[in-house]
Amino acid sequence: MTKDLRFASSLIVTGSVILAVVVLAALLAPLLTGWGPEEIDPAAPLAAPGGAHLLGTDLNGMDVWSRVLYAARLDLGVAVVAVALAVVAGSLLGLVAGYWGGWADDVLMRVVDVFQAFPTFILALAVAALFGGGTLNLVAVIALVNAPAYARLVRAEVRSIRELPYIEAARTSGAPPWGILWRHVLPNSLTPVRVIAPLNCGWAMLTLAGLSFLGLGVPVPGAEWGAMISLGTADVVAGRWWTSVPPGLFLLVCVLGFSLLGEGLQERADAVRR
Amino acid sequence: MTLLSVEDLSVLIRRPGHEVAALSGVHLHVEAGEVVGLVGESGGGKSMVARSVVGLLPAGARATGRVLFDGADVLTMDPAALQAHRGRGAALCFQNPRGALSPTRTVGAQLTDRLRTHRGMDRDRAREVAAELFESVGIRSPRRRLDAYPHELSGGMAQRVMISLATGCAPGLLIADEPTTGLDVTLTGEILNRFRAAANTEGRGVLLISHDLASIAQVCDRVVVLYAGTVVESGPAAQVLGEPAHPYTRALLRSVPDLGGRPVTATPGAMPLLREPPAACPFAPRCAHATGECAAGRPEPAALAADWTAACFHPQTAPLAGTGTRIAERRERASGGGAEPQVVARVRDAHVVYRGRFGGAGHHALRGVSLSVAAGEAVGVVGESGCGKSTLARLMLGLVAPASGGVELAGRPLAEVRGRELRRLRTRAQLVFQDPIGSLSPRRTVADAIAEPLRAAGVGPAERAERVAKALDRMELDRSMLTRRPHELSGGQAQRVGIARALVGEPDLIVFDEPTSALDVTVQAQILEVIAGVARDSARGSVFISHDLATVRGFCDRVVVLYLGRIVEEGPVEQVFGDPRHPYTRALLSGAPSLGDGFAGPRVELTRDLEEAEAGGGCPLAPRCPFATPECREGEPELLAYGGMPGRVACRRVDEIPALLERL
Repeated sequence: MTKDLRFASSLIVTGSVILAVVVLAALLAPLLTGWGPEEIDPAAPLAAPGGAHLLGTDLNGMDVWSRVLYAARLDLGVAVVAVALAVVAGSLLGLVAGYWGGWADDVLMRVVDVFQAFPTFILALAVAALFGGGTLNLVAVIALVNAPAYARLVRAEVRSIRELPYIEAARTSGAPPWGILWRHVLPNSLTPVRVIAPLNCGWAMLTLAGLSFLGLGVPVPGAEWGAMISLGTADVVAGRWWTSVPPGLFLLVCVLGFSLLGEGLQERADAVRR
Repeated sequence: MTLLSVEDLSVLIRRPGHEVAALSGVHLHVEAGEVVGLVGESGGGKSMVARSVVGLLPAGARATGRVLFDGADVLTMDPAALQAHRGRGAALCFQNPRGALSPTRTVGAQLTDRLRTHRGMDRDRAREVAAELFESVGIRSPRRRLDAYPHELSGGMAQRVMISLATGCAPGLLIADEPTTGLDVTLTGEILNRFRAAANTEGRGVLLISHDLASIAQVCDRVVVLYAGTVVESGPAAQVLGEPAHPYTRALLRSVPDLGGRPVTATPGAMPLLREPPAACPFAPRCAHATGECAAGRPEPAALAADWTAACFHPQTAPLAGTGTRIAERRERASGGGAEPQVVARVRDAHVVYRGRFGGAGHHALRGVSLSVAAGEAVGVVGESGCGKSTLARLMLGLVAPASGGVELAGRPLAEVRGRELRRLRTRAQLVFQDPIGSLSPRRTVADAIAEPLRAAGVGPAERAERVAKALDRMELDRSMLTRRPHELSGGQAQRVGIARALVGEPDLIVFDEPTSALDVTVQAQILEVIAGVARDSARGSVFISHDLATVRGFCDRVVVLYLGRIVEEGPVEQVFGDPRHPYTRALLSGAPSLGDGFAGPRVELTRDLEEAEAGGGCPLAPRCPFATPECREGEPELLAYGGMPGRVACRRVDEIPALLERL
């Protein structure tokens, strides 16, 4: 194994371990805490860490540790599902547009242009404001704002793959158009998607947290990191760090995990190409 | 005087995890006024020698030994000395001239830069000299060309620019790394003659690197043969290429098809990639003469005659194998059949026009070509690049549609069927590609690739596996190949997979589009053997497309010569190669490099027409043809039979040609 490949693998392994730990913590949340995420301890609003509440409680008397853990389910879940949807929808559109070209290509790409004319977050903000919050809406919004990038990426790949000799070889072998698309064009056009998607998951989490921070995301009292940070901002000024720092840290760690994974995949692709 | 003397040069290249012994103890020398050919297959170390001489070794390379140029060791030069050495001492012509020229600057600017740095000329003087240099390498209207960007030049033109760049600063030594790869035969000869002229008239030393022995045979004084980073044989060109002593040199020469019809003999195996300097003879595993001695120790170069050495324990003296067997064999087959064989593919007066970009005029690639291929017949299609060879292949496979005219496969016109039926019909013809690895889908296994036509035909998985395995066996590939992916294959293996894929569905027609031009010489011979075997199948027709006339001669029954999208001559191989009637065919044959006797008979040289100007309505060759009359420029000649011969020729003066040739 070469040095570059080793470096790439170490990135991939580190990123994966970080994400695995967060996922495990989210899944095992009921075992790691006795409190429910929306359970209120009326006796102890804004309790400091320690005692009955590992990381203290927030303004409403809800357990911060519990909320942080349960929020991981939502944040990770929304990000991964939204990106998966974006990948599938964007790739299919890109595949069709790139392979057939013509008016379908023109129409699709102009729509993509319109989407990409707005900064992703502003677009997400506008769409979320239009359709309202809620988990399913958030998944749809994040998928929607990310899909155009995949459509464009895959289309560009398809355009160049379409002209390669092995596609001509498949045509002379008598393969039907959808067969060529499915068996030859699609697998070969997804190479860059594999690298971008994990990075994109990190960005998706930030988008979700950002929307919630601005009050357009998960409605109260849902456990979500962005919403928690938002709720805790006033406390930080008052010296009560525990309501907003833990969700911030979890968010940071997750984004870092996705970035390392994506970088590693990128490095590995580069190393293999060399 | 010895200009360049390479003594015991070894180069080790550090690669991640291991080392590559690129060169191991190489000795060679070049005198002023001498052309030395450095030959061998890719991976043999030819380019590494060139790079060592100009001090351009890749990162991670360690060189030991000495590279003496005019008495100074290039390997120990400081950067300033190296800089002076590169431009004025030794200059390198790169293999890929388009890639070696900077795309954003005019070629004139790139040339005058050199003249100004190395020869201290001022701007105007440099431009003047540059124009002279362009003229001397045969560039027409040189002043206009100075302002051209590299992408505006054809391949041959770019190579000329490259040569003018290299010779511009009057170097003592000119190194040309595969200078004629990708050029047409007529250009190849011309470019090589430039190098010969540089040695003869300007007294330079020339190191000519090539995998193509035939093309450099005529211009070299001496030849050095490299194998796996070692010099296996070196000596005067006549001896090394005429009566080679080292088994590898012999294998190389036997692998090259010849215009005279000498059969190709393939040598199994491939060159090893050495991780350390070899302790034994590196060729021993592939050598028919190898003994225990060869595996135990590495032979030192031993003198056979003055200035002729071979690094072999068992130098050979027997003449190279005899000639003619394959051609005799084919003749039997041709005359054996009683009934008229069935026509498997027919092209009728087809025109193909590629649409121009941005509404510009299209490219008329084929202009009224008719061709039929019968079962059991092998048809060769030859011509220079841009003549429409590949378009004809794509047309026969239904990959491009004719603008007018038609294509029939298995007796059915392609234009009459649609959808699934069209796809089915199209599978009756299969294509073997020029780029063996690129024509395999990178993410699909070999088994998948070969099974593709069967899957398309709706064959079930069990039968598929069986037939794939059979096709693999026929290509002499191991079953373990089935799970490999294209990047794990060598070029030769990939091409066998490509042929297996073409064969597996038992098509009526297989079109081979330059199937060996991307392969190494000994591998080429292996693949040519495989193809010759496939072409002998009596139920199938084959079309073999090549710019190399000699490969076509090896196993085709009939030859079609294309020029600018038209068939100018067609006929049986013996007829066309033995007594070509069209001036163009004769010029192609005259220009084709050959190691054997080459083309016998009067030669024809076409006048240079590098602009490839469209003939205004007349015979397309008229502007270049030495026999052209005003009449030739008026109407396009038809492809007609002549004098009771089996062939057809598109030339107005076909009946006068023999007499005209005698007067030459």
